Amino acid sequence: MIGIQLVFLLTGTLLVFIGIAFISYSRNMVKSIMSFQVVLFGANLSIFASGLGGSERLMSDTFILFSILVGASVEAVGLALIVVIHHKFGTLNPEEIRRLRH
Amino acid sequence: MLNDLVAILLSATLLLTVVAALLARKVSVSLILLFYASLLLGVIFTVYDDVLIGLVTMITFAGAVSVLILTVVLMTGQSEMGAATRRSQLLAVAAGAAVVAVAAYSLFSAAPGGAPQAAGDISLQLFGFLWAFRSWDLLILVTVFAASMVSVTSLLSGESE
Repeated sequence: MIGIQLVFLLTGTLLVFIGIAFISYSRNMVKSIMSFQVVLFGANLSIFASGLGGSERLMSDTFILFSILVGASVEAVGLALIVVIHHKFGTLNPEEIRRLRH
Repeated sequence: MLNDLVAILLSATLLLTVVAALLARKVSVSLILLFYASLLLGVIFTVYDDVLIGLVTMITFAGAVSVLILTVVLMTGQSEMGAATRRSQLLAVAAGAAVVAVAAYSLFSAAPGGAPQAAGDISLQLFGFLWAFRSWDLLILVTVFAASMVSVTSLLSGESE
């Protein structure tokens, strides 16, 4: 069980780092939201792995449910902001938006 | 040993799918690959005895959030859904078949708790736990969800004026 726990913890950590890297690298705001979703996947997998094989299973399940719902809400607000920004500036490139604002 | 192999196989497929989704040039391809990744995450939870969390993950991310992102992609004209080349069609079919094969193998192999009959107990325990001791969590969740819906509505209604 420790082996499985370690594999999922490593995968979750990698997913979080990959997501953060792509959030800062991406030049498209829709891709940034997708990267945020990957960070959420990693966080959920890490919480799940921390609850594997122990008596804290229900606690980890509760936190995963919490994380899923908060993440989905944040993504919905982010996507609404993207629609508003696209209508206002006509682009989804953060650098162009910054340039157009000035 | 087999359980470790299944875990490594699922983790490697999830990582590869996610990296391919983020590296893809077309947003529509990224969206399809992210949909596969959401399904894989749900399969991981389901295989390791968390059927309820697996279902919630699939419903929320592979269902609702994917459709939400697709709507935004189509509204903002980012889809670039031009005629796909034969190579990209084959690649998409191969990726989908690989994900389905890994998921099916994991679900039907001898992974711990792979048998769905444990689902009822886990769900009942979880709901009992939530309602008996952690009802504040649910209150916070409902508040966060309602706040996000209000902000989305105000953002989009301000846009239409």
